[in-house]
Parts: sequence; structure tokens; C-alpha cells
Amino acid sequence: MSDTGIGNYNRAFALSFAITSLLSALLVVLKEQNEDTVLAWMKAATGHHWITHGVLVVVVFILLGWLLAQTKLGSRLTGNGLSAVISGSVVLSGVVIAGYFI
Amino acid sequence: MQSELILMAHPAFGVLAILAAVWVFAEAITNNATSRGRLRMMSLACAGLVWLSYLVGGYWYVVYYAADKALIKAGPWPFAHGFVMEVKEHIFFSMLLLSSYLPIAVFSLTAGKQALKPVVLWVSAWIVVLGLTMEGAGAFISMGAKVALLATQSTGDTP
Repeated sequence: MSDTGIGNYNRAFALSFAITSLLSALLVVLKEQNEDTVLAWMKAATGHHWITHGVLVVVVFILLGWLLAQTKLGSRLTGNGLSAVISGSVVLSGVVIAGYFI
Repeated sequence: MQSELILMAHPAFGVLAILAAVWVFAEAITNNATSRGRLRMMSLACAGLVWLSYLVGGYWYVVYYAADKALIKAGPWPFAHGFVMEVKEHIFFSMLLLSSYLPIAVFSLTAGKQALKPVVLWVSAWIVVLGLTMEGAGAFISMGAKVALLATQSTGDTP
């Protein structure tokens, strides 16, 4: 394995951001499409679906970051490669969310 | 009065977070021995300010927004809620996570991991772009409430 100089936790949490951001966008579609089940559960869990959404996003980001740090997933990514993954996730999750509500 | 002050604190913290992200971007370009302390401090400030904006805005959204939402949806600009607010409240999570990740990348960059320079530049740049998008979206939502109130005044209806 080549050392790209990124560092284990940087790689892990950057990838965790990319994955969590996309999962958050998919959760938007899922909860809006399933108001009686998913959205209702999210409202019941904390009193407001958006609070539940926020808690899930933060918990998944931290847990996934920690888990990915235990693996070598993406260990060959350079700084530019990691930047592309981050940017791709920002754009794609934005397109999914905006595209759903348009 | 209290709810209005809380509402104004949300974009105020957001603007300060954007400025902090711009500062991080500029310092990361040089990233020399004298700029490292400022880089670290501004990355922490950016993260803290985005979290403050999230918590204050989230509190207002959960506690007070229902009345504005009903008003906007009944007014001439229902898309100010149906599209703009829905997109804003969900894309904000990406900005929250990016700002939380920023200090992780900055502290490693300033500790000598030069390969992280493009990551810090891109992450801080995205925080600026998303932050400005949030500010613009907030202006649309405010205008949605304003035109709804104006419409009720012109028709004599009570909001």
C-alpha cells in the first residue's frame, strides 16, 4: 500500500462525510415518500422529523468515520482524489435533494 | 421579540462562519509557519459558528416556523417553503458535516501533511458556497412570508 500522505482519520472522515451526505439525501426522499411509516417514526422518535434526521446524520458520520478508520478503504486516494470524492458528494446530494422538491 | 432575535442570530452566525471559511481558504494557500495558528483557530471558529447557526436556526425552525410555514404556503410564493425551505433545511446537513470535518483536515495539514492542502481548500470553498446558498435561501423564505403578509393586508384577511 502506498502512503499518499493523507492520514488514516482524514481519509476515513472525508469518506464518511461523502457517504453520510448521500445517505442523508436518500433519507429525504425515503421519508417524504413514506409519510405514514418512515416520516411518522422520525417524528415520533424526537418530536420532529428534522431533529431525528440531524441526530442520525451526526451519529452515522461519527460511527462511519470510526469504522472506516479501521479499514483501508480509499487508502490509495490522493489529496486531489479525496477532494473529488467530497465535491462529488456535495453536488450529488444537492442534486438529489433539489431534484426531489423541484 | 425573542423569536425574531433568535431568527436573526441564525444568519448572523452563518455569515461569520462563511468569513471564517474564507479565512481558512486564504491561509491554506500559503500555509507557512506564521499562518498555522490562525488556520487552526479559524477552522475551529468555522465549525463552532456553523454548529451555533444550526442549533439556533434549528430551535427556531422546530419551535416557531409552523406559523410562518402556513402563511407562506397560503401566500403568493408557496415555493418559498415547498422548494426553498425544504432544500435549505436538508442541504444544511452537508454543510454541518463539512464544517465538522474541516478542523480535522486543517490540524493534519498544519502538522505537516501537505497532501491535504487541496482537501482543505475544497472543503473551505464548499462551506463558502453552501453558506452563501443558505443565506440566499433564507432571504427567499423571508420574502415568501413578507409577500404573504402583504397579500393578506391587501385583501383584508387576517393572517
